Amino acid sequence: MITQAIMDGLINGGIIGLGAIGVTLTYSILRFANFGHGELLSWGAYVALSLSAALGAMLPSLSTPIGPFSFGWSVPIALIGSMVLTALLALTVDWLLFGRLRRSGSAIIILVMASFGAALALRNLLEFIFTSKPAYFTNALQISKPLFGGMRATPDQLLVLGLAFITVVLVHLLLTRTPAGRAMRAVSENAQLASLTGIDVRNVIRLVWVLGAALAAVAGVMSGLLVQIRPTMGLDLLLPLFAASILGGIGSVPGAMLAGLIVGLAEALTIQVIGAEWRAAVAFVILVAVLLLRPNGLFGKATA
Amino acid sequence: MSSEILKLQGLVSGYQPDLPIIQGVDLSVSEGEFLVLLGPNGAGKSTLVKTIAGLVPVHSGRVYLAGADLTDVPTHRKMRQGLGFVPQTENIFATMTIRENLQLAAQILPKARRAARIDAMLAMFPDLASRQTTRSGALSGGQRQMLACARTLIVEPQILILDEPSAGLSPKMVSEVFEQLVRINASGVTTILVEQNVKAGLQIASRGVILVEGRVAHDAPADGLLGDPVVSELYLGGHKKEEVTA
Ligand SMILES: Nc1ncnc2c1ncn2[C@@H]1O[C@H](COP(=O)(O)OP(=O)(O)OP(=O)(O)O)[C@@H](O)[C@H]1O
Ligand SMILES: [Mg+2]
Repeated sequence: MITQAIMDGLINGGIIGLGAIGVTLTYSILRFANFGHGELLSWGAYVALSLSAALGAMLPSLSTPIGPFSFGWSVPIALIGSMVLTALLALTVDWLLFGRLRRSGSAIIILVMASFGAALALRNLLEFIFTSKPAYFTNALQISKPLFGGMRATPDQLLVLGLAFITVVLVHLLLTRTPAGRAMRAVSENAQLASLTGIDVRNVIRLVWVLGAALAAVAGVMSGLLVQIRPTMGLDLLLPLFAASILGGIGSVPGAMLAGLIVGLAEALTIQVIGAEWRAAVAFVILVAVLLLRPNGLFGKATA
Repeated sequence: MSSEILKLQGLVSGYQPDLPIIQGVDLSVSEGEFLVLLGPNGAGKSTLVKTIAGLVPVHSGRVYLAGADLTDVPTHRKMRQGLGFVPQTENIFATMTIRENLQLAAQILPKARRAARIDAMLAMFPDLASRQTTRSGALSGGQRQMLACARTLIVEPQILILDEPSAGLSPKMVSEVFEQLVRINASGVTTILVEQNVKAGLQIASRGVILVEGRVAHDAPADGLLGDPVVSELYLGGHKKEEVTA
């Protein structure tokens, strides 16, 4: 059963990793911990759910499951729409709230508190629109198939794991190989020097919101596909997201994904070995341990 | 040589709205000039050049670059309009390699010109060419200043402003950096150098401006200031302060 816990941990860890990339990027560029990031996952999932339902209603053929998976083409199409709309939501919140606070030179703690407020508002709005009843992309049941070493996984789960891996590679390439990525790293190291290098810092901030929110939408949809969609799904993932982004080292994309997998594995093994009621404590313990023992994380740049 | 490239008109600026540090500076800099900006600690030299670069709020007055009013233009656009600024500290991206620093700076150029400009900088600073994949945080103080200059010159600015590039360098490195600056200026780039060491500054520059308490106290040809008994008594008295870059 340990091998099965490892499989479950990897799958959940992939979702945590995707969300943690968004946290780590916004943290390194905007320099505050955005406690509203989890809500972007929830909104991503609900927006995709609505789009997928609408698509299915208009073109029923889009709801027919694709191959071995539990969902039809309406879900991947809705995912892309949701990435765009969730990015717009993040830009709107930044424009209404964080951007104003930045311009007035507010202290970091004000931004953090504002993100708590934004999270609360966004979450309650979801509950108001969709109620707190769990929702699902499909009602189709999936049978998990045996893999090697006694592990079992559903096709959906394997797809999520593969997609998470591909997404990380793409984001990593974007950051290290493209002008936009270089500009993001420059702003993260020294925003003033970046502007002296001709970089429009405001554009980079927008790009970070778009990227972070789009990844959050992907993670939210994945979580919705494998578990369920609830207004509090993002809140429940918040602690694991922060544990992973800090363990991975703020600013490091591969670090966030690897740490996400570690947090996911630790959670799954805890459930297996100690008991399910301890799951929520795992991320917290990791978070505290990293802050005490290795505040720069596994891949963080040491701050002199 | 005579056309005006930078003009400051009644410039008042400072970090807080009610606390002007620069208290009314008028200055006209001609194309190709090598101007050294001198003055005691806290006189406002850094504040003045940072104001020109758009990093310190202007309270009143104007900044013109080649006739265009750039007072309210944000920093990144000033850099795209021919102004190059090398700050006193943290003037390179330490987590990036030498090559990445140059690629980043070249990014605002048209794609077709980027590679050629990177090569031109590597030819100009051979020390950097041999260490392109080195993380620039690992460079020595002198190499850092070279990289900071290369980062700025890569886009061929009309005017290059440097804030104390000699701070914290060994005398040998200082003369190397200064030689490089003289060469850059000779290639037609108007140069403004902020410098603590009055004598060394006046020896390489064509014109000296002495700032005291946010105002221009002296503005004269460099050799004139070098021989001026008042200036030498005030500023060449030997109480040179050593500064260390962070
Ligand atoms: N970031 C800042 N915020 C507020 N005040 C500042 C800031 N930087 C400098 N000052 C103040 O502005 C005044 C001028 O400082 P500035 O750094 O421009 O002097 P300087 O001539 O460059 O001195 P130095 O030779 O030591 O570099 C000083 O009184 C200083 O305390
Ligand atoms: Mg200074």
